[in-house]
Amino acid sequence: MSRRPGWRAIGGLALGFAVAGCLPAPVTSQGREVARLYGTFLLIAALVAIVVLGLAIFAILRYRGAPGDDELPPQVHGNLKFEALWTGIPLVTIVGLLVLTVLVLNSFNDAVRANASVEVRVTGFRWGWRFVYPNDGVVMEGIGAPGPELYVPVGENVRVTMTGEDVIHAFYVPQFLFKKDAIPGHENQFAFTVDEAGRYGGQCAEFCGIYHSRMPFTVVAVPRAEYDEWLAANRGLAPSLATPEPSLVTAAPTQLAPEATGPYESVEPTVQPSVTTSP
Amino acid sequence: MTTLTDTPPPVAAAHAPAGAGLDLLGWLATTDHKRIGIMYGIAALGFFLAAGVMALVMRAELAVPGLQLVTEQGYNGLFTIHGTAMMLLFATPMVAAFANYLIPLQVGAADMVYPRLNALSFWLFLFGGLVVLSGFLVASGPADIGWTGYPPNSTLPYSTTTGTDLWIVGLLLTGVASILGALNFVVTIFTRRAPGMSMFRMPVFTWSMLVTSILILYAFPAITAALIMLLLERRFGAEFFNPSAGGDPVLWQHLFWFFGHPEVYIIALPFFGVMGETFPVFSRKPLFGYRAFVLATIFIGAYSMTVWAHHMFTTGAINLPFFSATSFIIAVPTGVKFFNWIFTMIGGKLWFPAPMLWSVGFLFTFLFGGITGVLVASAPLDFQFQDTYFVVAHLHNVLVGGSVFAMWAGITFWFPKFTGRRLNEPLAQAHFWLWTIGFVVTFLPQYQLGAWGMPRRYADYPAAPGWTELNVVSTIGSFCIAASVVVFLVAVVEALRRPRDAGPDPWQANSLEWWADSPPAHHNFRSLPPIRSARPVFDARVAAREAQRGGAEDRP
Repeated sequence: MSRRPGWRAIGGLALGFAVAGCLPAPVTSQGREVARLYGTFLLIAALVAIVVLGLAIFAILRYRGAPGDDELPPQVHGNLKFEALWTGIPLVTIVGLLVLTVLVLNSFNDAVRANASVEVRVTGFRWGWRFVYPNDGVVMEGIGAPGPELYVPVGENVRVTMTGEDVIHAFYVPQFLFKKDAIPGHENQFAFTVDEAGRYGGQCAEFCGIYHSRMPFTVVAVPRAEYDEWLAANRGLAPSLATPEPSLVTAAPTQLAPEATGPYESVEPTVQPSVTTSP
Repeated sequence: MTTLTDTPPPVAAAHAPAGAGLDLLGWLATTDHKRIGIMYGIAALGFFLAAGVMALVMRAELAVPGLQLVTEQGYNGLFTIHGTAMMLLFATPMVAAFANYLIPLQVGAADMVYPRLNALSFWLFLFGGLVVLSGFLVASGPADIGWTGYPPNSTLPYSTTTGTDLWIVGLLLTGVASILGALNFVVTIFTRRAPGMSMFRMPVFTWSMLVTSILILYAFPAITAALIMLLLERRFGAEFFNPSAGGDPVLWQHLFWFFGHPEVYIIALPFFGVMGETFPVFSRKPLFGYRAFVLATIFIGAYSMTVWAHHMFTTGAINLPFFSATSFIIAVPTGVKFFNWIFTMIGGKLWFPAPMLWSVGFLFTFLFGGITGVLVASAPLDFQFQDTYFVVAHLHNVLVGGSVFAMWAGITFWFPKFTGRRLNEPLAQAHFWLWTIGFVVTFLPQYQLGAWGMPRRYADYPAAPGWTELNVVSTIGSFCIAASVVVFLVAVVEALRRPRDAGPDPWQANSLEWWADSPPAHHNFRSLPPIRSARPVFDARVAAREAQRGGAEDRP
């Protein structure tokens, strides 16, 4: 990235036109379903755009009036058959899209209801995250960047129960193609299965105040054996659940792990936000 | 019939005292719908310029990672007031501007039914808007809660600035202004139509305003109630949104979006109506499927009350399939309108002065807003796009690519009616091309940024691969948009320095406002043509031509 800004801008514009709308590579079973659904939607969107824009361009090129031509064209007021056609076809199309949508939603719900080998309680607060493994006595907590780590075993269903401590936050991992709000007074559940080991950057996505952009976290997906080692190493190291004041230090020392793939891993922990939550 | 074919002789506008320069007191005290409309328009454009400058500061800040120009608090204030001002101090009052000026003219009336209420509505809006902006004068800065103002983040422990209270009070005033204005439009349309103008002979802009006004009467009370609740919670100890006292923060989201989604159609339907006026004139044909267009408008209006919770897919507090379904369905009547516009062009004799360029530009840009709208209406896809730049790009694609393109079409179309002068065509076209290029360059990259996962409302972002490049491009585009607005202002000043020479009907148009002088006299009409179709001025023109040719052998 040492090119001159002008070239970077032109390259960026070309990139924008070429790839507008490309999703990150999904790493969860649920994310793959979303990506497939997105592919179907994009295909239909492209067809609609080609038909509508094609008609519009045809009209513009074909029916230009000549200068000085004072005669009126035929005064057509409508055509009931055409109108029925362009009401009916879109109606059928969207019913199809709705069915596809509901199938994916049902599969999300099935994952929440299915047995989960890992239960995590996630709490969003100004400006950090707390990940509690109630069955294992492990608590991970972090404020600001780089934020806490959420360890999960690869290939297993992980069920998250989430709430917000002060204001509304949102748990968002771009490579999961998924986010959900952490709302005070509400408990939201979702489930996911990570298919590939790796480190995936996450972030808060619901505007939550001055340091909204500085509360990243990382999902670390590791094989089962490594996950069990991590649980054992962190049991008891956790800050007491009774302590509401979040500490600036994550409980676990950073593991030697593969390079992060999410954008937020590159945030440098330079300026730490203040942790005062009272006015 | 022949008496009706004479165009009325030009006379000095009755309300302009001879020799007076700027009739300041006359404007301040006016109850004339045309003057109120123009004041609405100028005030709305003023708020548009202010909110536009805020957007430029934000785009400059976002060009590269790191904080260069503003603090995080400053940035939060900027996007809050930018969104609020664009939605509620620019787009909504711009609708009122067109409606005030055009409804009485289009239905052949002398004025609105309640002229004083009309004036009250304008002044409430203006001062409400100024109250919102006055947050910049407060030491702790303007509201910092986003234009959606979600509690608990907008309640007192978390948003401590007085600017947030000014935001609430200011929006309460503008909301009441909108309700009063809508009441006036509905009553005027129902009771002041000229003899012969049945409902299905009304111009589609007036039809769109009727539906829009009814929507305002349903939607704005919800936001008014929500704002009062928020004010009570912040300053008077209420606990509506506080879960630890039995309240629920999601209640606000229901109330806000029960207003907020109809609001999108409140600022879209009237401009769809504008498109229903321009395409026929510049295709020299009637609107294809007038009744279908009107029915689609009514359907969209009614249906827009059922889609609000598609803004809340990630809350886990709503029925996802239901709101996905209602949101998908609204694409159907919108699609009907697209085909109405395109088939109005097909078979016509098109010409492309600035208003038609804007109309065609609208067709292209709004299509992408509509299509991406179907994407985000699918709840699982929204789980990825919600609160990212994808949604930012989508909403600007709809509101700018849709409403604002059509607004420029309307301004350039009716400018001769408002002022008696046509805009300089090369300048007006330069405005269009600069704006369109700037618009595409600004918002197209934002789709990709959002798909990658760049969240909105971030003052800063990491230097992930590709992010900086696309943000630089987006920022360059935004300054191109700003340049186009400068060209527009130059064109307006240039036009106003010329004598009035546009004549009553410079575009060979269809509806009654083109029968009146440009600008119309104080009480609009000295005569009216017979109203036997949705295009009375067209009918009169054809009749005149036939009379001139001494027979009907040339009837089209």
